[in-house]
Amino acid sequence: MKDTYIKQWFSDVWGIFCHELKTIWGDGGFLIIFFVAGFGYPLLYNLIYSHGILEDTPIAIVDNADCSESRRYIREVDATRELRVECKCTTMQEAQKLMADRTVNGIIYFPSDFGEKIISGQTAKLSIYADMSSFLYYKNLLMGSEFVMLNEIGKVQVEKAIEYEENLPYNRTFSYSIFLISAILMLIIQQVMFYGSSLLAGTAREEHRSFATLPAQLHAHGIGRVAFGRGAVYWLLFMGVGIYIASIVPAICNFPQRSSFVDIIVLLLFFVTDCVFFCFTWSTFITKRETVFVLLLFMSPICLFLTGFSWPDCAMPGFWKLFSYLFPSTFGCKGFINLNTAGGSLHTIEPQLLAMAIQTMCYYFLSCVSLYFENIYINRKKQNSFERLTEQ
Amino acid sequence: MNKLFSVIKRELDRWRQMPVFAIGSVVVMAFCSVFYLTFLSKGVPSDVPIGVVDYDNSTLTRNFIRQLDATQLGKVIHYSSFASAREDMQKGVITSVCLLPEGMYADVQAQRHPCFTFYVNTLYFLGGSLAYKDILTMINLTSGAIQREELRMRGVDEESIMGRLRPIDIDIHMIGNATMNYGAYLANMMLPGVLEMVIVIMIIYAVGTELKYSTSTKLLETTGNSIISAIGGKLIIYTALFTVLAFSLEFLLYGWMKFPLASSVGWMLLDSLLLVISSEAIALVIIGAVPVLRFALSIGALYSVMAFSMTGFTLPVEAMSESIRGLSCIFPLRHYYQMYVQCGIYGTGLEGCYREIIHMLVFLFTPLFVLPRLHKAYLYQNYPKK
Repeated sequence: MKDTYIKQWFSDVWGIFCHELKTIWGDGGFLIIFFVAGFGYPLLYNLIYSHGILEDTPIAIVDNADCSESRRYIREVDATRELRVECKCTTMQEAQKLMADRTVNGIIYFPSDFGEKIISGQTAKLSIYADMSSFLYYKNLLMGSEFVMLNEIGKVQVEKAIEYEENLPYNRTFSYSIFLISAILMLIIQQVMFYGSSLLAGTAREEHRSFATLPAQLHAHGIGRVAFGRGAVYWLLFMGVGIYIASIVPAICNFPQRSSFVDIIVLLLFFVTDCVFFCFTWSTFITKRETVFVLLLFMSPICLFLTGFSWPDCAMPGFWKLFSYLFPSTFGCKGFINLNTAGGSLHTIEPQLLAMAIQTMCYYFLSCVSLYFENIYINRKKQNSFERLTEQ
Repeated sequence: MNKLFSVIKRELDRWRQMPVFAIGSVVVMAFCSVFYLTFLSKGVPSDVPIGVVDYDNSTLTRNFIRQLDATQLGKVIHYSSFASAREDMQKGVITSVCLLPEGMYADVQAQRHPCFTFYVNTLYFLGGSLAYKDILTMINLTSGAIQREELRMRGVDEESIMGRLRPIDIDIHMIGNATMNYGAYLANMMLPGVLEMVIVIMIIYAVGTELKYSTSTKLLETTGNSIISAIGGKLIIYTALFTVLAFSLEFLLYGWMKFPLASSVGWMLLDSLLLVISSEAIALVIIGAVPVLRFALSIGALYSVMAFSMTGFTLPVEAMSESIRGLSCIFPLRHYYQMYVQCGIYGTGLEGCYREIIHMLVFLFTPLFVLPRLHKAYLYQNYPKK
């Protein structure tokens, strides 16, 4: 008896698996998302952010001091990686106009007493005006001029009481691409799967052939079988995409890969499984094919912010912090950043793995519950329409 | 005129029947406004966790740690060994690690110039750069305080001490965002970005559902087979809806939240109106070129997600690779941003932003190329159905 049950179980799962796979490959909309977004997007983002470092921000100089110190300062500023002296202006008005025209993104102003003060051993002041339309302009102006200032101070000053040594181990140059792409790659997996599977679930419901009707031979049993059978399809497809995104794309694009392949696979195992049941649970609410785009596309940037990769956790309001626990990407992205880019080990990403495991269990349970209720709903509807027919 | 009126009435009926229109536009915008404005409400993060390993445990190092903890930006977390601190930095629990070497105080006393080392995890960009700035400031101040003491002992007068310690001082003026408010910086562009996304998707959906449910012939019947009035009628009512949304957004950002703005809010209203109509034009191009709802929506989704990056408000367009830089001009959001910079940051008025206005108006001509195709699709429904 037991033997036949297990056999039956597996054959049912296999049947559902094949059926789902067939539906997927027959659906053009899903394939567009799967191939264009899943395979194209990671490369596209790498192309956009391939350089990722803003260099030689053009600046204007207003040098009222016109002394050897200010001239040396200007030469040295021009030599930094961050800044490039585009224009030398005679008045502030002229420089302001250049900035408003966006020919330059900043101004350095030397007051007339600049050289005098340095020579007489007083503090000389210089002013910087930074274009805040992108904070990277500001960062470049600040860093470029401070490097030169510290260097100049070194020449004038007595020796420093404390020397310091800075280390930026994982992202030495403050590269924007290393920071952004580390976070975005895992999010692409989740979003592609979510939009793709919701599209299919919506289509099925629209055509009144929801998987929640449950195969006839199961006699309304086998919620687990449906969840497993369908899950296995997505799991397999997206493990493939996952390996491509998390391992092959970084290799193609010369992106730092500081972890072993096996560790990445372990992370993907947790993340993709989590995503599958996450998608199953939330796609319950999608009743039409297209509604997922109309209603939920805006969630992609929100999920990205919720990972805490940009706006730090410590400044995140409590409610949104709790809200972020709903998404696998919150843990998956962090796990990938810490594992792949910061070169951690599985021990490093233990908290994320644990969180994803708990999430998987919750979402598996919820997806089964939703399947159960949808099945009841469908049957009742059928019953009603049947009764109406017989009355007629 | 009568035709337009009947199309508008028909569209309003559709809104009543399909709640998706109201949810997809008004509810989405409301949710996103609440999200971005509350999520970034702090403006600048404070109390960024900084790990400290104090191997010296002297008055000097303890003082340094207290001072670092007292800054608005930083919050000190103590570690007993470098290994555990590094691990937490790798986990992203702390942004940085300061290493105070053994014998630091004694070395300072003996003028042996001890070396202070710090590590910053710049993968978490914002937290990392803030911690970096905070630590650098603190170590320079500490070093300066020691030097000042030394110079005082030698009898140097106070004014020359400052000149010796800090020969050059930089004062920085941040044009357009004087308080370095990240909330204003990000929400200023993220929310219009969401608006563009909503417009592109909703217009594709509104035009495309007629094809999907094969109601397009009925629509053409009401307008006497005129695609211009059919689409025009739809656009009138959607433009009204999105303009209300866009204006509410601008008032929310610059009225309610009081984000810095160098010119009158009128310019931003014009900017957002142009964003609305140019995004509508782009949406028409997509559904006209690909008159299959599911494909058009997929393309619209990919396009509007790209817009956030291609706008260049985080990583400027000039830092992107050459092959992709030019593409930025096909996104209305890019021109919205450029116009915002001119009006909102520099207050240059028409002189500064006329180019962007022309750019966004050019988008309005693009649907003309696909209208004939859309007409045929509406009339004969000749597109792949499955």
